[in-house]
Order: sequence, then C-alpha cells, then structure tokens
Amino acid sequence: MSQRQSYAVGTGLFIVLGFAALAYLATQTTSVVNSRQGDSYTVHARFTNVGQLKERAPVKVAGVRIGQVRSIALDPKHEAADVTLSIDKRYPHIPADSVATIFTSGLLGDQYVGIEYGSAKKDLADGGTLALTRSSQPLEQMLGRFFGAGGASDRVGGTYTVKARFSNVGALSVGAPVKMAGVPIGSVAAVHADPVKLDAEVELAIDDRYDQIPDDSAAAVFTSGLIGSQYVAIQPGGSPEMLKDGDELVLTQSAMQLEDLIGKFLVNGSPGEKKDAAPADTPAGKH
Amino acid sequence: MNARPQRNVVVNALAQIGEAGLFLLTLLAAVPRSLRYLRETVRQLWFVGAMSLTIITVCGLFVGMVLGLQLYYVLSIFGGTAASGTVVAIAIYRELGPVVTALLFAGRAGTSVTAEIGLMRATDQLAAMEMMAVDPIAYVAVPRYLAGLVAMPLLCAVFCALGIFGGHLVGVTWLGIDNGTFWSNMTATVDVWKDVVNGILVKSLVFGAVVSLIAVYQGYTTPPTSEGVAYATTRTVVASSIAILALDFVLTAFLM
Repeated sequence: MSQRQSYAVGTGLFIVLGFAALAYLATQTTSVVNSRQGDSYTVHARFTNVGQLKERAPVKVAGVRIGQVRSIALDPKHEAADVTLSIDKRYPHIPADSVATIFTSGLLGDQYVGIEYGSAKKDLADGGTLALTRSSQPLEQMLGRFFGAGGASDRVGGTYTVKARFSNVGALSVGAPVKMAGVPIGSVAAVHADPVKLDAEVELAIDDRYDQIPDDSAAAVFTSGLIGSQYVAIQPGGSPEMLKDGDELVLTQSAMQLEDLIGKFLVNGSPGEKKDAAPADTPAGKH
Repeated sequence: MNARPQRNVVVNALAQIGEAGLFLLTLLAAVPRSLRYLRETVRQLWFVGAMSLTIITVCGLFVGMVLGLQLYYVLSIFGGTAASGTVVAIAIYRELGPVVTALLFAGRAGTSVTAEIGLMRATDQLAAMEMMAVDPIAYVAVPRYLAGLVAMPLLCAVFCALGIFGGHLVGVTWLGIDNGTFWSNMTATVDVWKDVVNGILVKSLVFGAVVSLIAVYQGYTTPPTSEGVAYATTRTVVASSIAILALDFVLTAFLM
C-alpha cells in the first residue's frame, strides 16, 4: 500500500508540475495579455499608405497601448487603406480631431498606429472616423524627397495586365507584390529586359476588383523596410480614364539604390545641386 | 506477426508501418476495457513521466543555456542582443522543446517499455495472462501507451520552462543583457497559439502518440529471444528518431 501511495503522489506531483509549467509559459512569456481584448469600440482611419502595418498591431497614445488594429482593407473609391482600430472601452475620451499616424518601432521594428490627441471638445464615437492621418513613409520616398527626386510619376494602363518600364528594377523579382496605398492588389507577372529600348519591362497582374485605377497613375519600385524585399507601388493619378488590360504605366520611378543616393549626396554637397551632376552616373535616378 | 521474411527494405518498412497502424487500432479498441486497470496506467505514468523528469530538466536547462550563449555571440555582431529572449523562446517552443523532449523520451522511456514488454513476451508472461483471462493488450499495452501520450506534453512543458530559465541564466545573469528587455521582447513577440500551443501541445502530443506506439508495438511483436528483445529495443530508438524528425518537418509545414 505504501509503495502504491508513493508512486501515486509522485505521479500527481509530475502532472501538477507539467501543467504549472505550461500555464507559466503560456501566460508569462507570451503576448496573451496583449492579444486579449476586453470591451472595445471601433474607430476607422484612412491612410494613403499603411506600409507594413499588420492586423493586431498595437494602437498607442503617448506610447501606451490602448487597442489594436482589427482589419486593413483597400477602399477602392478613395485610393486609400481603410484601417479599423478597436480601442479599449477604458479609453473613451479621444478628441474627434486627433491625428492617427503610422509609426515604426525603432529602425527595423514592427509598425503601429499612434494617436496624437487634438483639442476638440467632442470625443470620437464608436464607428467614427479619424479624419486626420499621416501615412507610413517608405524609405525611398523619404530619401527621394530629401534628394529632390520625389514626385516622380508614370502613366498606367490596365485591368488585367499592365506594363511598366523602369530604367532599373533593382532586385525586383517575379511574384513580388504590387501595392496601392500599402495594400497588395496584384503581383509582378514578368520582368524582362527590352533589347531595343535597353530598359526593363515589367508586367503587373492586377486584381480585377481594382479596376478604378486612373491611367495616369505612377509605378515605383520600393523596398519593404530597410532590408526587405522589393515591390511595385502604384501611386494613383487624377485622370478620369481608368487603366485597362494591356495598358502601359508611363510614369515610373525606378528602384533607388542606396549607394547612388549616398554617392550623389557626397559628390554634390547639397541636394539642390544634384541635378547638374546626377544623370551621367546614376541610371537609377528618376526619369 | 513475428515471422519477418527477408524482403525489400521499402516493402519491409511499409509492412511495419501498416502493422503498427493496425496495432494502434487494436490499442484504441482496447481502451474501454483497460479503464478498470486505471491504477496500472497511473503507475506507468509515474514510470515514463515522473521518472523522466531528471533527464528532461537537466537537458532543458543546458539546451537553454547553450542557446543563450550562442545567440549572445551571434547577435552581438549585429548589436541585437536584446532580441535573444525572443529567439530563445521561439526556438525552444517551436522546435527544440518538442523535438528534443521526444528524442529523450524515446531513449529514456520508449526503450524500457519495449524491453519490458519484449521480456514479458519472451518469458511467456503475456501468454500466461491470456490463460488467466486477462487481456494483455488492455492490461499491458494500453496503460503504457496512454501514459506516454499524457506524459509527453507535460515533459515538454517542463523542458521549455527550464530552457527559458537556462537562456535567462546565461543571457541576463552572466552576460548582462537587460532583464526587462529580455522579457518584454519575448512577451511582445511570442504568440500563445502559434508558438506555445502549436509547439508544446500539438507537436508533443503527436510525438508522444508516435513514440509510445512504436515502443509498445516493437515490444509486443518482439521475437521471443534475447536477441529479439535487444533488436526490438534498438529499433524503437531508430524508428522513433526518424519518425520524430520527419513528422516535425510535416507538422511545421502545416502549422506555420
């Protein structure tokens, strides 16, 4: 009997220990606290570019987590990303004129939505929309703006397959995403060199749902983050004509190479002088 | 079942898998009958589970410690030692915890189950039980199988906890990574479902089911000689190791 008792006690201890370890790991070393969502209300925010923002990314005020991103969808009518935020009921007093911004934690960290309070007396209601937003800034755009190369644009063409010519596609490969406002809308179907025009011809396969893209939209080759893979970003234009199958995006911005940009900066001293010296040695520059 | 004519290796392996599958059905069919031997199941759980704790805790601790050390060395090249808590946790939950626990479990518990049942077969104890109207499947095989099934996830949880502790010991206590950074990076990245539940529960349950089946099956079908028992014990370890690593790949591909 006593022998039976001892192994029964030992087995019981083993089971308790195992479950205790499991409970400890599940609660103390994971984001279970973060992913648990109490009572919350929904707020919409429209961004022109969500970058690498993901669902369940945190929403923060003054760096403190108050909710999470519930969904990200492309709003085709506004050429913008509609981001649904669910915010904890404990924080009901967010001024209606607050500004939502997409920030990045550190240089390579995840992105999150930061809300900076406005001064309105009225609070944001459930289902309300944050009218003022600041989008995620792709590194290329920031560098491009800094070096005066921003605002490059292209012409577009197509509902099914659209062509775009780049003087340099960088490391763009077949299958890379095509994004508008940071939301994937298609993929790169083919990349090949044109033996006559001596540039790169890229075929973009765009989802039929997104057939309201103006034909003067621009295509640009961007990089996800600092060391991410490359993708084609469509920057919508203002033409009333929409892209059709087989059209060509005329306005394109090639992949920027960090070396070129830094080289330009070093050689020319200031961004303002860049235009004189740049074209000869930078095939990657703007058109 | 005992006669194994020399056949092609592939055909042999297939035949073994098929026989083991049929044996599993026999085991499952006998589960209701073995409920009256619940005490025997608890005793087996003590033997394969509680008695394996020593090797599991010591190995978990050392695996965590070596991970902490290696990661500190590699991550300090990029100035990213703050991420070592995250990487230790994810590596242990997703791969090292379930796989190493299952390999140790096969070596520590699987072999002894095979040898025990094999010797029962060789010394005609199983036949004697049948004579006494005791179903040897329900009394010998099923309790050992169920015990292995229950013990694996628990052992894996203990292994993971000790692994995290070992990583923390080396990274924070010895090498001076900030304690808060270590934990907050870990809690921010590790996901309960994708990492903890998929790794510890799903993977180790599957490994436990497969390792226990192999151990019980090999013991139950041993040729009743001393050579046969030795051979069956070896095969338990070899077959378990291959099954664990191959299944790990398949499971990872599905659970990603």
